[in-house]
Amino acid sequence: MSPRLQTQHLSRWYGNILGLSDVSLEVGPGITGLLGPNGAGKTTLLKLITGQIKPSLGRVTIDGQPVRGRAEHFFRIGYCPETDAFFEGLTGWQFLNWMLRLLHFSDSEAAAAAEKMLHLVELYDDRHRPIRSYSRGMRQRLKLAQALAHNPEILILDEPLNGLDPLGKRKIIRLIREYGREGRLIIVSSHVLPEIEALTRQIILIHQGKIFAQGDIHEIRDLIERHPHVVSVRTPDSRRLAAELIQQPYVVKAYFGDDDQNLLVETRNRDLFFQFLLEAAAVKGLRVEEITSPDDNLQAVFDYLVGRP
Amino acid sequence: MKNKPDSYLHRNSSPRGGALFWPTLKRVYAFSFFLNKRSKRSRLFALLCFFPILLSIFLRVHQTISADTSFDGLYLFTNAILLFVFQFLVLILALFYGSAVCSEDLEAGTWPYLVTRPLPRPAIVIGKYLASLTLMALMSAVGVITSFIILNLERWAELSLYIVLLKDLGVLVLGLMAYASFFAFLGAVVRRSVFFGLIFSFGWENVIQYFPGSTQRFAIIHYLKSLLPLPSTSRFSFLTFRLEPTKPFLAVIALLIITAAFLALACLVFIFKEPRAED
Repeated sequence: MSPRLQTQHLSRWYGNILGLSDVSLEVGPGITGLLGPNGAGKTTLLKLITGQIKPSLGRVTIDGQPVRGRAEHFFRIGYCPETDAFFEGLTGWQFLNWMLRLLHFSDSEAAAAAEKMLHLVELYDDRHRPIRSYSRGMRQRLKLAQALAHNPEILILDEPLNGLDPLGKRKIIRLIREYGREGRLIIVSSHVLPEIEALTRQIILIHQGKIFAQGDIHEIRDLIERHPHVVSVRTPDSRRLAAELIQQPYVVKAYFGDDDQNLLVETRNRDLFFQFLLEAAAVKGLRVEEITSPDDNLQAVFDYLVGRP
Repeated sequence: MKNKPDSYLHRNSSPRGGALFWPTLKRVYAFSFFLNKRSKRSRLFALLCFFPILLSIFLRVHQTISADTSFDGLYLFTNAILLFVFQFLVLILALFYGSAVCSEDLEAGTWPYLVTRPLPRPAIVIGKYLASLTLMALMSAVGVITSFIILNLERWAELSLYIVLLKDLGVLVLGLMAYASFFAFLGAVVRRSVFFGLIFSFGWENVIQYFPGSTQRFAIIHYLKSLLPLPSTSRFSFLTFRLEPTKPFLAVIALLIITAAFLALACLVFIFKEPRAED
């Protein structure tokens, strides 16, 4: 059965400080990006999901079963914490080995799984070095390795790409996506938009402890009526197209970009806009070379939602 | 990245709830013992545990040089070595190892590695407690046994002496058990547990034992002293001036109850324990 994670009216206060407010979510298999600035409540939400802290209100369930107080759930969950903390006296090999033994693996199972995982995250050659001598990127990969090593169905990754170089990031992104394709439920948090964008289009936007939006980035974008979509059309007939478009009621603005052939159009209804463009190309012989959506990214959506200009 | 591992690790028949307790206890014990024995703290306390040996050597050398014929090894062991062990070493060891049981992972940030694994929280506490207890008992026993042998070299063939030693070692373990469980509880409930632990150890425990009547029964040291040989009325008598000992059997029961009660409380607090917002 594919895992399903649910939170119902989840709230958490730290004394008088609000950590999370009335969060109701349902997350299924695949990768879900949890996006928000620092202090938005991402880590609080992930700690609640993994039962590390108790909700002030509401509940978290996995397949209908409450998480907190049920240790057996953690056979299914892999958690990569945000904090850069380890049992410092250990080597990478010892750390991973013990983490697997604490998952009730036998010594031989733990050794085999640790070896494979160290190969996977490319730390095998450094396995006998103390963790304290590892670089930030190596430590990050080791943290990820302990979350993946028992092959869990559910992966909760709190800022897993922090501290990685671009090449390292690309490798980890590829690995997470591979796991996501296998039908695992993966929640990845980040405050870096391109990281989430590279991983998934399924996102949860969180800010000041509240969920601003959840769903496919396009769907979220559609929710924002007052913020028109920007579509860039590259065509040698840009002026003719601009004249036609400006007469349409769903077009708010049309202007030229870097050069004369790049027309930027702001529209309130993307579907009607694309329909018009198709007709213009087919009926009126308009030559369209390229269509892109420069603001169809998380930064734009996030800026709109939090009210940034 | 290389190919992903196979799914051979996936377990459909994972143990549940109570069935996890004993396996967890064993694994946490092994892990915690492994970590503890390599820690800087253990290296430091191992040196401290060698102090009774140094003291014994010093007393021996002094006896040899001064040709003191009244030298009584057992007397010195009871009144100097055991005094140091029970009034200082046991307290310090139990304070630092015991208070770390419930708090060190929160402070070090390694807490998520334990609580996001299929490990019932009470089993984590008891496993860590037992690992610390084993290490403390081993370290302090080495010092006590060696110093006992050094001070009683001439009487090495007397079986009755070893019975005394075994009894003292038993009291040592009981003391470590009781204090460590109390400090484990303290570490679970307060943040600066070492500070409060020091006040308890060298304030309360030291002062209250000199009170007459039943007040002294509110100190753990009272029950330990009730199990140790009564001091002679000579040089060191002022230290236990007003000791009104509890019967040995009752003292053992009291120490076991103290251990069980504080350990249970530590487990209970740990079940609900959470990192603070700033952690």
